[in-house]
Amino acid sequence: MNAIRSIWRLTPVRGVTIPNYAIRSLSANTTALPHAVEPVVPPVELDKLYKRVELEMRGIDPAVLLSYSWFCVAAASHLGIEVTKSWALRKAEKERHTLLKCVHIYKKHKVQYEIRTYFRFIHMQRLTGSTCDTYLEYIERNLPEGCALKVTKIECQKLPEHLVPPKKESEE
Amino acid sequence: MSILIKRSKSGCFNSACNVKLWRLNSTSADSALKKGEEEEEFRVLDILKKRDKMQRRVVKRTDVQPDRIDRMATNQNWGNVWPGPKTFHPSSVPLPIRQGYVPKGQAPPGKKANAELMKIPNFLHLTPPVIKSQCEALKQFCTEWPNLLNSEESIEKHYPLEIISSDYCHASPSIRNPLARVVILRVQLADLKLDKHATDKFKRLVGDRYDPKTDLVTITADRCPTKVQNLDYVNYLLTACYHESWNFEDWEKEKTEDDMEYYDWDNNASKRSLIDWYLRVKNELKIMNDEEYKAFDISQIENGAQYKASVSKYMNEGENPQTVQEYSIAVRKLFGLPQKKLV
Repeated sequence: MNAIRSIWRLTPVRGVTIPNYAIRSLSANTTALPHAVEPVVPPVELDKLYKRVELEMRGIDPAVLLSYSWFCVAAASHLGIEVTKSWALRKAEKERHTLLKCVHIYKKHKVQYEIRTYFRFIHMQRLTGSTCDTYLEYIERNLPEGCALKVTKIECQKLPEHLVPPKKESEE
Repeated sequence: MSILIKRSKSGCFNSACNVKLWRLNSTSADSALKKGEEEEEFRVLDILKKRDKMQRRVVKRTDVQPDRIDRMATNQNWGNVWPGPKTFHPSSVPLPIRQGYVPKGQAPPGKKANAELMKIPNFLHLTPPVIKSQCEALKQFCTEWPNLLNSEESIEKHYPLEIISSDYCHASPSIRNPLARVVILRVQLADLKLDKHATDKFKRLVGDRYDPKTDLVTITADRCPTKVQNLDYVNYLLTACYHESWNFEDWEKEKTEDDMEYYDWDNNASKRSLIDWYLRVKNELKIMNDEEYKAFDISQIENGAQYKASVSKYMNEGENPQTVQEYSIAVRKLFGLPQKKLV
């Protein structure tokens, strides 16, 4: 009950404050109007540069992965992306669980269950940001069931402008 | 039963006065009406329903449509037949596919009613011509890689900073992957504008994030919950380390010979003993202080420069056959001894 009362007390205060803000913002607008006439030039958004993009796909079925990697390479070649490497691990990664065959007794008799995960890798290099986004969107939308994709992007940037040796005057 | 229902529907109001009306409505009373209207009769319950039998339902056989593959033209556009990802359907795929595990010597079952073909995700919507046409449509959103950045050296020269991050796409209850937040920054130490003191301090600040073999500084950030925050944090770390390494604190003047990151021959006992030996040979031995030792010009000593180089290399690179051999050659030259003969 007390809580409701406190809310009840609080609400009119809020109601009062909101019009205050509104008035404040209005007055701010009127003062800012002469300055706002200048056209605001949006900063030019530069394309990102990706030195290398590495796709790692993992799935439960090697045949599906093979088809998918074939599709990825084909799409890359149509879009003019340079594919440097494409390979698969020779063996699947196996996650094993060993259990007793009988639940309570016979310790010498066990069963082993395993989950196999197959891997495939594709490396490509020298993509611009827009190409990379388009391509990744395309292949991610066509990702088949039972597959997962990890994309590692190595972006190259200029050194930030503030990484310059400090001047002697500024130190003193 | 139908009579009762119809009666209740039509004339629940004033049933007594309007007998004819509900009689007309009922079907079984029609024959009675024809015989004579004036003769009121009880209606007969027709149990066997001899008079008008219900019409028998004729089970119509629906025509089974012929397979779609029979009506397909050979020059059709396959992309229109199979436009998107779909489970395998035998009557729209004109291929003699067989799939399934059978004992040896038997043929695997055909495509009709074959669950094996339906289990595996198919790529029938991504045939080479379809991929090509879709890529043609997508090409307008792509941009060319700049021509001048055609080698690794030029990329590293103009864009030395590397930001590495990963994206994940998988089927799971959540589309978020916590590993996507990790951001790694990598830069070559030589690309940062640092002087001798600042380089040393920078290396000490970043610690094991610097790899002396590849000259790379790798800063990994994963403590913030999102990628943008980690990116900001990585940039902050680099900036902070950089500017801190340029600061020269008062206590850094207390750096002694033990704190040196490399062996400086001029400050060490090796130079002192060399000068002492040289002066003693010339019979000009005198007592000198540290400053004089440091300022002593060793170019007047014959083969002194080579000795200095070999000792520095020995101490900086560690003991290995090459450095030991160079040291022995330098010492023999210095003392005027014959060189070791190669066997």
